[in-house]
Amino acid sequence: MVDKPKVAIYWLGACAGCDESIVDLNEAILQVVEAVDIVLWPVAMDFKYTHIESMQDGEVALSILSGSVRNSDHEEMARLLRKKSKLVLAFGACACFGGTAGLANFKTKEDIFNWVYRDAPTVVNPENKFPQTETQINGMTLTLPEFYDHVYTLDQIIDVDYYLPGCPPPPDLIANAVNAVVSGDLPPKGSTLAPRMALCDTCSRNKKKPSKMEIRQIKRIHEVEADPDSCFLAEGIICLGPATRSGCGETCIKTNIPCRGCFGPPPGVVGAGPKYLSALTSLIKAETDEEVREIIDSIVDPAGYFYRFTQPSSILGRKKPGKHMEE
Amino acid sequence: MEKYSPKLVCFSCKFGWGYLSDEPALASRITNWIPVICSGKIDTSHILKAFRAGADGVLILGCSEGHCHYQDGNIQTEKKVLLLQKVLETFGIEPERLKIRFSVDAEGKSIPLLINTMEKKLVKLGPIKRL
Amino acid sequence: MWQSIHKGSVSVEPAIRQFLPPCQVQCPINEDIQRTNVLISLLPDDLELARDGILQIGDYLYEKNPLFTVCGYVCGLCELECNYLAKGGAIRRRLLKRFISDTYTYHLNQKEEFNLVKHKENVAVVGGGPGGLMCAYDLSKRGYRVTIFEASDRLGGALWLIPQYRLPEKVLTSAIDSLVRITGIDVKYNAHVGEGKLTLEKLVNEGYKAIFIAKGTPAPRILTFGREKVEDQSLSGVMYGTTFLYEVSHGEIKPNYFRGKKVLVIGGGNVAFDVARSARRLGGETTILCLECEDRSSKDRIPADWEEIRGAWEEGIRILYSRGVSKVIGESERMKKIECPRCISVSDTTGFNPQFDLSDTITVEGDILIVTVGQGPDRATLQADNLLDEKGSLALDPLTLQSLNKEWIFIGGDLRRIGFMADAMRDGLTAAESIERFLGGLDMKEGRKREYEAQDIPRRAHYLSEPEVMWIPPEKRMHFQLFERGFTLLEAIEEAQRCLTCGPCVSCKACLSIGIQESLSNVEVNKDRCCGCGICVSVCNYDAAQSKEIETKRISTTDMFKCKSCGMCVVACPSNARKLVGDNMEKKIEAVYASL
Repeated sequence: MVDKPKVAIYWLGACAGCDESIVDLNEAILQVVEAVDIVLWPVAMDFKYTHIESMQDGEVALSILSGSVRNSDHEEMARLLRKKSKLVLAFGACACFGGTAGLANFKTKEDIFNWVYRDAPTVVNPENKFPQTETQINGMTLTLPEFYDHVYTLDQIIDVDYYLPGCPPPPDLIANAVNAVVSGDLPPKGSTLAPRMALCDTCSRNKKKPSKMEIRQIKRIHEVEADPDSCFLAEGIICLGPATRSGCGETCIKTNIPCRGCFGPPPGVVGAGPKYLSALTSLIKAETDEEVREIIDSIVDPAGYFYRFTQPSSILGRKKPGKHMEE
Repeated sequence: MEKYSPKLVCFSCKFGWGYLSDEPALASRITNWIPVICSGKIDTSHILKAFRAGADGVLILGCSEGHCHYQDGNIQTEKKVLLLQKVLETFGIEPERLKIRFSVDAEGKSIPLLINTMEKKLVKLGPIKRL
Repeated sequence: MWQSIHKGSVSVEPAIRQFLPPCQVQCPINEDIQRTNVLISLLPDDLELARDGILQIGDYLYEKNPLFTVCGYVCGLCELECNYLAKGGAIRRRLLKRFISDTYTYHLNQKEEFNLVKHKENVAVVGGGPGGLMCAYDLSKRGYRVTIFEASDRLGGALWLIPQYRLPEKVLTSAIDSLVRITGIDVKYNAHVGEGKLTLEKLVNEGYKAIFIAKGTPAPRILTFGREKVEDQSLSGVMYGTTFLYEVSHGEIKPNYFRGKKVLVIGGGNVAFDVARSARRLGGETTILCLECEDRSSKDRIPADWEEIRGAWEEGIRILYSRGVSKVIGESERMKKIECPRCISVSDTTGFNPQFDLSDTITVEGDILIVTVGQGPDRATLQADNLLDEKGSLALDPLTLQSLNKEWIFIGGDLRRIGFMADAMRDGLTAAESIERFLGGLDMKEGRKREYEAQDIPRRAHYLSEPEVMWIPPEKRMHFQLFERGFTLLEAIEEAQRCLTCGPCVSCKACLSIGIQESLSNVEVNKDRCCGCGICVSVCNYDAAQSKEIETKRISTTDMFKCKSCGMCVVACPSNARKLVGDNMEKKIEAVYASL
C-alpha cells in the first residue's frame, strides 16, 4: 500500500480564520482526508511536540503554515516544521505578508505592553505585573515564549516554497493548492497560488468606470450609501482593488464593501501600500492648493488603510529582507 | 563623539532647475543629487527606498505652479508628498524629513544652498530612530 | 549654455502619420513652431547670455525659412488655430518670432555664405516676391543654378506693399539681401519676362531647363458697380491703393502729404486698412467705406483682421460699413464726392454678387479717393504664353503646380491664387520639389499628397491668459515707425513657456536637441500585469494612455504619437504594468542609494 502524503497544518500568530477556511471546504474535506494523512492540525486534533520532532527531515510532504511570526515559539515551530517538510506553504495574508497583526509594527513592544497590561481602560492590574520570559515556581523554572519587538512574515524567518494569500484564502484556491500537491503538478518554487492580475481584471464594476476618474471628495464606506454598480474609486471611496491580487471572487465587492487588500500586491509590486498611494493621489482633483490639502487631510489613517495586511513585508516596514516573491 | 552628518537625497526637475548649468560641474559640488526630467516621475517607492537605504531626508525640487512642461507633474508630486508625509509619520519618520519646493532656477545656483539648509534641519532632528 | 546644438544628430522627422500641433498644420510651410517655442522658453534671462541661444534658434528657423525675420512682423496664421485660443488666448507666436528676428536681423549681415555646390541645371524664376525667393532658395540648396528675373528694381514683390509701421524697411531689405548673398542667387533687375524680346521661349533657348512663374498680381482692380466700371476713375485725386503703397515704400510721398485733405478709402481688406492707416499718418482725415458689414458672425463680415480695425479706430479713422460706390463725381477735373448706396448682401451661392438698396444712398465728400478693392494678374501675358485653359483659368496641376500646357513651366504665388505671404512661400517650395522631380525624370506626384491631423490640447489644471497687446498710444503713432512693442527677453521666455506642446515628440525634439534628455523612451505596457483599472487613462494629460477591449479583457495601451514619455502613467500604475523602455532613471537612483 502506498503511503498517503503527510500534511501538517499549523498556526503561528494566527486567528484560526485560515483553519476555518479549510473547514469551509465542506464535503470536499472528506476527499482531502482520503488523499492525505494529516499529521498535525492543532485546531482539530491533539498533538505533542515530540511527535513532530521525532519525524525524519523531509518526512512531511507539505506544511501549511498560517499566521505571522511574533514570538519565539512561532519561530521555533516554523523552523521545526521547515526542517521536517519537503514543501512549506505560507497560508493566508499573515504568513505571506504579515497580515493585520503586522500593524503592530507601528508601535514598539513597550507601547504595546504598557497598553495591554496597564493603560487600557478595562485593565485591572494594580501591581503592574507584566509577563516575563522566565519565572521561578517551587524551585522550578517556568518559561514563556519571548514576545518579539517586530512582526515578521513567514519568509523572513524560513524558506517558503509557495504562497496562498487572502484573509482568509478562499476554499476553491485551497482545494486547487492541495490538489496540485497531491498530483505533483506544481508551479515553480516561490509562486503564489492565485491569479496574477490585480482585482480590477475580474471586478464587474470595472467596465462601467468613467474613462476619466476624478476624486473631488473622499468618502468613507460607512458614511455613504454606495451604489452597488459603480466603481468605488470613481465615487471617491478608497478601494484597494487596483493594487490587490485577484482570486478572492470579489466577495467583499459583491456585498458592496470596497476591497481591503487582503490578497496583497500583484506580482511585480514589492509594496502595495506606496504604489496604491501614487495611484490614489493621481486621481485627486481640486481647484486650489488648500482644497487639495483638505481632501488629503480627510483620509483617515492612510498608513493603517494602505498597509492593513502588508506592513511587515513593505519597504519601510520590513526588518529583514524577505525572499523574493515571484515576478 | 563623531559629529552627525545627515544624508540627504535631492531630486530636481530638469525643466525647472539647472538646465542652463554645466550639469557635471554642479554635480561635483552636490552629493546624492538626482536630476530627473519631471518631478512627477518620482514614485513613492523611490522616496521610501531612499529612507530604507539610509537617507535621513529627501528633498524634491519641482517647478512652480503653471510651469510644468508636462502640464501637471508638479501637482501630482505635491499630492503624493502630502499623503506620504502622513504615512511616514505613522512609521515614526518625521514629516519634515520629506520636503518639496516649487520654484524655477535655471542656473541651479540655489540648489547647494537649499540642500545645506535642509541638512541643518536634519541635524536638529538627528538620525531616524526606528527603521 | 545648452549642451548640444540643434544641428547634427537630432533632426526632426517629417510628420509621421501626419500628426502635428494645429499651429504647424495651419502654417503653410509647416514651420517647427513647437520646437522653437520650447527652445525660447529655455533661454537664460540675461540678454548677453541669451544671445548665443537666440542666434541658434534663428539659424534653425533660417534653414527652413530664410524670410522668417519678415514673418515675425507680418504673419501669425498659426495663432488662428492655436489650441490655447479657447482657453485663455492663443500663444503670441508671431511676437516670439519677432523677438528672435530683432536680434537675428543684425546678425544676418555677418551670416556666412552657404557656399553651395551648384552642379545641376539652370532654372529661371520669374518674379522676385516671397514665392519666387523661396523657390530660388530651395532650388539653390538642392544644387541648381537659379536666376531670378525681377521686373522692378528691387526684390520683394508684394512685401513692399506693407507699410513700415508694420514692417520696418530694414528688416525686409536685410532679409532679402542676405538671402541672395548667402545662397548665391543670380538676380536680373528690370527684366520683364513676357514683354518684348524676353519671352519664355527665349529663356529656354538660353539654357534654362525649367521656369517658375510667380509674378504676383500687380494690377489693381478697378472700381465696378453692378459689373460695370464706375466712371471717372481717372479724375485727379483718384488713385489705386497698391500704387499708393508702392509709392510710399519708395519714399516718394512727403510727410503730411494729405494734411487738410479728406481721404476716402474704398475696400474692406487688410490692404485697404494699410492704405487708410498710411493716409492717416500722412495727415489725412480718413474714412474707409466697404461693402462688408461689421457683424463678425455674418457671412458678409469685413475680411480685415480685428487688429487692423481696432488700430484704425484708435487712430481716428471712420469706417462706413455696408456701402458701395455707384458714382464718382468730380468738379473741374478733380475728385469731389461719391455716391454710396447701402449694400445689403455681398456674396451669395454664386459667389461675389453684391446687392444694393438704392433708396438708401448717401453722398460722401472727399478730396482723395483711394480704390483698394483687390488685385489681379496680368492675364494678357498669361494668355499669350498659352498658360490658360478654355475657361480662362490657369491650366495647372494643383498638387505639383506644373503647367498642363508646357511641362517645363511651374506657376505659384498670388498669380495662382491670392493668399498670404506664407502661401506664396509654400508654392515656391512645392514648385522647387516639382522642378527637381521633373528635371530628374522622377514621378511627379508620389508621396506628395499630405493631409495632417491636428493634435488636441493637453489637459491641465490651470490655463493662463495671453499677455496684453502692446501698442504705443494712438496719438503718438502719427509716423511710420513701428507702433507695436515687441517682447523683452523675459516676456518672450514667459510667453514661450505658455505653449502647451500639443504636437508629437517626433516632430519636436527640442529637449533632446539641447541636451536636457538623452533619449525619448517608449512606454511599454506589460499585458500580463495590466488589469484594465484605467488609472493611467485618468492620469494622462495627453490622452496617450487609452483603454482597449481585447477579446473579453480590458487593457491599457499607449498611443506613441501623443505620448510625451513623461512617466506619469508609470508612477500611477498600481500594478507596475508600465515601463519606460531604455530609461536610465532607475539605474541612476540605484547608484546613488548604493552609495548612501
